[in-house]
Amino acid sequence: MALDFVSILYIGALGLLLLGTFGLVTTTHLFRLILALALAEAGVNLLLILSGYRGGAQPPILGFGPQDMPMVDPIPQALVLTAIVIGVGVQALAVAAAVRIYRRYGTLDLVALKAHLEGDLARKQGIAPPKSAEKPAGERPLSPVPPRPQEP
Amino acid sequence: MLPLILPVVLPLLAAFLVMPLARMSALIARALGPIVLTTSLVLLLPCCLDPPAQPLVLAIGNFAPPLGIVFYGDRLALLFANAVALFFLLFWDWRGGNPQQARQDALMLLLAASATGLALSGDLFNLYVFYELAAVASFGLVSLSGTGPALVATVRYLLVSAFGSVLALAGIALLYLQTGTLNLAQLGIDPEPLQGPAGLLAFGLMVIGFGVKAELFPLNYWVPEVYASAPARISALLAGLISKLAVLILLRLLVLVYGDTAAPQILLFLGILTIFFGEFSAWRAQDFPRMIAFSSIGQLGLVFIAFSLSGSWGVLAGIAVALHHLLVKSALFGLAHRWSGSLQALTGSAQRTPLAAALFVLFALSLIGVPPLPGFWTKILVLAGLAQEGSALAFTGLGAILLVTAVEAHYLFRFALQLYEKVENAPAGFRSFWEFLPSLLLGAALLAVTLRINPVADRLRAITQQAADRSFYITQVFPQAAAHRKDQP
Amino acid sequence: MRNLAAVLFIGGLGFFLFVLFFRLPLGAPPLVAGAAILEEGGETVGAANLVTAVLLAYRGMDTLGELSILFAAATAVGLVLGRRQLVVSDPEGGFILRAGSDLLFPLLLVVGLYVILHGHLTPGGGFQGGVILAAAFFVPVLARPRRGLDHGLLSFVEGLAGAAFIGIGLWALFARDAFLEPLLGKGVLGHLFSAGTLPLLSMAVGLKVGAELAGLMTSLMEAEGRES
Repeated sequence: MALDFVSILYIGALGLLLLGTFGLVTTTHLFRLILALALAEAGVNLLLILSGYRGGAQPPILGFGPQDMPMVDPIPQALVLTAIVIGVGVQALAVAAAVRIYRRYGTLDLVALKAHLEGDLARKQGIAPPKSAEKPAGERPLSPVPPRPQEP
Repeated sequence: MLPLILPVVLPLLAAFLVMPLARMSALIARALGPIVLTTSLVLLLPCCLDPPAQPLVLAIGNFAPPLGIVFYGDRLALLFANAVALFFLLFWDWRGGNPQQARQDALMLLLAASATGLALSGDLFNLYVFYELAAVASFGLVSLSGTGPALVATVRYLLVSAFGSVLALAGIALLYLQTGTLNLAQLGIDPEPLQGPAGLLAFGLMVIGFGVKAELFPLNYWVPEVYASAPARISALLAGLISKLAVLILLRLLVLVYGDTAAPQILLFLGILTIFFGEFSAWRAQDFPRMIAFSSIGQLGLVFIAFSLSGSWGVLAGIAVALHHLLVKSALFGLAHRWSGSLQALTGSAQRTPLAAALFVLFALSLIGVPPLPGFWTKILVLAGLAQEGSALAFTGLGAILLVTAVEAHYLFRFALQLYEKVENAPAGFRSFWEFLPSLLLGAALLAVTLRINPVADRLRAITQQAADRSFYITQVFPQAAAHRKDQP
Repeated sequence: MRNLAAVLFIGGLGFFLFVLFFRLPLGAPPLVAGAAILEEGGETVGAANLVTAVLLAYRGMDTLGELSILFAAATAVGLVLGRRQLVVSDPEGGFILRAGSDLLFPLLLVVGLYVILHGHLTPGGGFQGGVILAAAFFVPVLARPRRGLDHGLLSFVEGLAGAAFIGIGLWALFARDAFLEPLLGKGVLGHLFSAGTLPLLSMAVGLKVGAELAGLMTSLMEAEGRES
């Protein structure tokens, strides 16, 4: 199979998507997770815009190129614009939440944050905090939830 | 004809205007939301009570179907659109007093608009946009309290949900690559190319993606922590209403495109996993919000098992289970407004608030499926369908449902008994009758359905008849395509 | 160990996806809805840029949804970050930064407005232009962090621009019984005043996106400040 231009683009799109997925599965750092999400989103956006790509066609703007040349499908181009804007909104929100969380807990590690979450919820509701499903490794145990001053 | 667009557009308009208005007059800004939602309800209610024989099909901007976006209002869609307006009014923050009230109201209105859009839209990408709008609005609402747990729960929910959306969008891209259209009816006209492996992959991606809101295994671990840290009103709306609308997208895809493939088997398998995960976790839960959150996961597993049944029986059973759960789970989260603590701390609550405890028992009985209540009929529908199906996986599902029903009965009765225990100083619970008014109204509705089960069943059958009929949907949107198909069957 | 498992899983998934994808019509997908738009888009809508025609006319509802999503995100960011008084800790920019931002501001403003207004003729449109507008207002803030932006004004512009988009849609609903159908004359294809209401919609989108993004970025910058 000869690798033509379109195939390379597809490989790139799928690769970005997989890379992002890999990052989402393996990291626990909140900011890196947001970056991994951005990568995966970029991959999907590329995939979406490629779904309307036709080899050798021109942009879908009337009077832009020669009259008789075929044009690419305009719909995915509009869709991808929508998808990008959605992605921006979600990422901005994630970053804002991360800022607040860092100020509150002083960490961005999701495993530690999950432990804080369970501990805080348990304290609020007066139940025993659950034992973490994911046992911390022996040499670096999770620190006990430190007493914190309540946020104003 | 009813302008089907208004119930979607008016809340959006109001949401855009709430914040500028709040600077001029807080009173007008506060009143805007209820006014708009009531208007949608008034617009939609006649179509729901006396549904038109033909579904309302609306080509937005007068662009004929495959080019533009179509809104498709059959009985099912209109029912859900109605439920959106009704439930948002029920769980509206009537008391107010939040310093960020205008922002909160704007997000509630955006959520309402997106939910209506999810019910009505007949275009795959438009559904995705409304789904994302629901997601983003719910992120804001879930983190409303601004406490540490709420923020962490929100950000975990956000990551899961955004990843799910990426997968769903990949699925949509894959569909578009194969068909060149996004219109659901047009996808249904010629589903054969989509029934190969690539089409099924697209379906799988969309199931995972839209399954995030539908609380479907594997991307549902955000559910308990979010519902435990969000305001109970919001949990009620998300668990009751928004999850059902995500299910509705998958139902449309299943009916129109993937009915004859391995897709129902995938749903059945995921449904069984979901129901096990949900009910056993609920059994272990120690606090009220998380108990009903896990139970809601279990119930949605049941919905997916129901939809995996072949033919209109599956659609009927699925819609019945979904509507029952919509009623019961919203009401239970309505109770969680005050009962937000551990189960232990609620021991003896029946002494101070007997009405709330009685309501809980009523809903619990219906959830388990005790005979005269509607929950019984919905479960029987699913079980009978599974028995008819006869495959090994179907019998596994049947066994799973029976087993988890026992588990469900155990933890719900355990808590009910706790409520009625005699203790020295009973917890205060609800300050006034108004605090659980939504649950009370829903309880009354449940009893009304119990007493008049036959007319309701007839109505459900009429809804199903439209919703389960693939060629009916296609004919409504593309009259000419159907004629073309009849020539060459 | 966990990473190795992830590598194997993702690798397997990737292989599966590649095999699956290369059996699809890559580079020559079926053109169904798109073909019709390419054919009649110029005449029906009157916009030379067919992407804008799709965005604002054929799939105008998507665009409205997307505006709402950005609005929801901005609102939620406001909720999450709260309205506490924060002292921006970033230092004032030096002379070069300040003079540069003063120079850039009018240029960015003009480019942004140009891109918005010519959205129906050339590549660009409300979103792209809106982002440039947001940059125009954000660059001075970067140079003079203490000055900030007036969030009240931004939310006013945001709300009114969104309302204007819906208002144009509703106008079409009352005039022609179809929400968001393009009104006014279509004009001559390729002229600035053509494509009916599309440039107006484009303007609304641009202002809304600009105000929202500028507000978002400023909120995030202010969130880094110390609590007073």
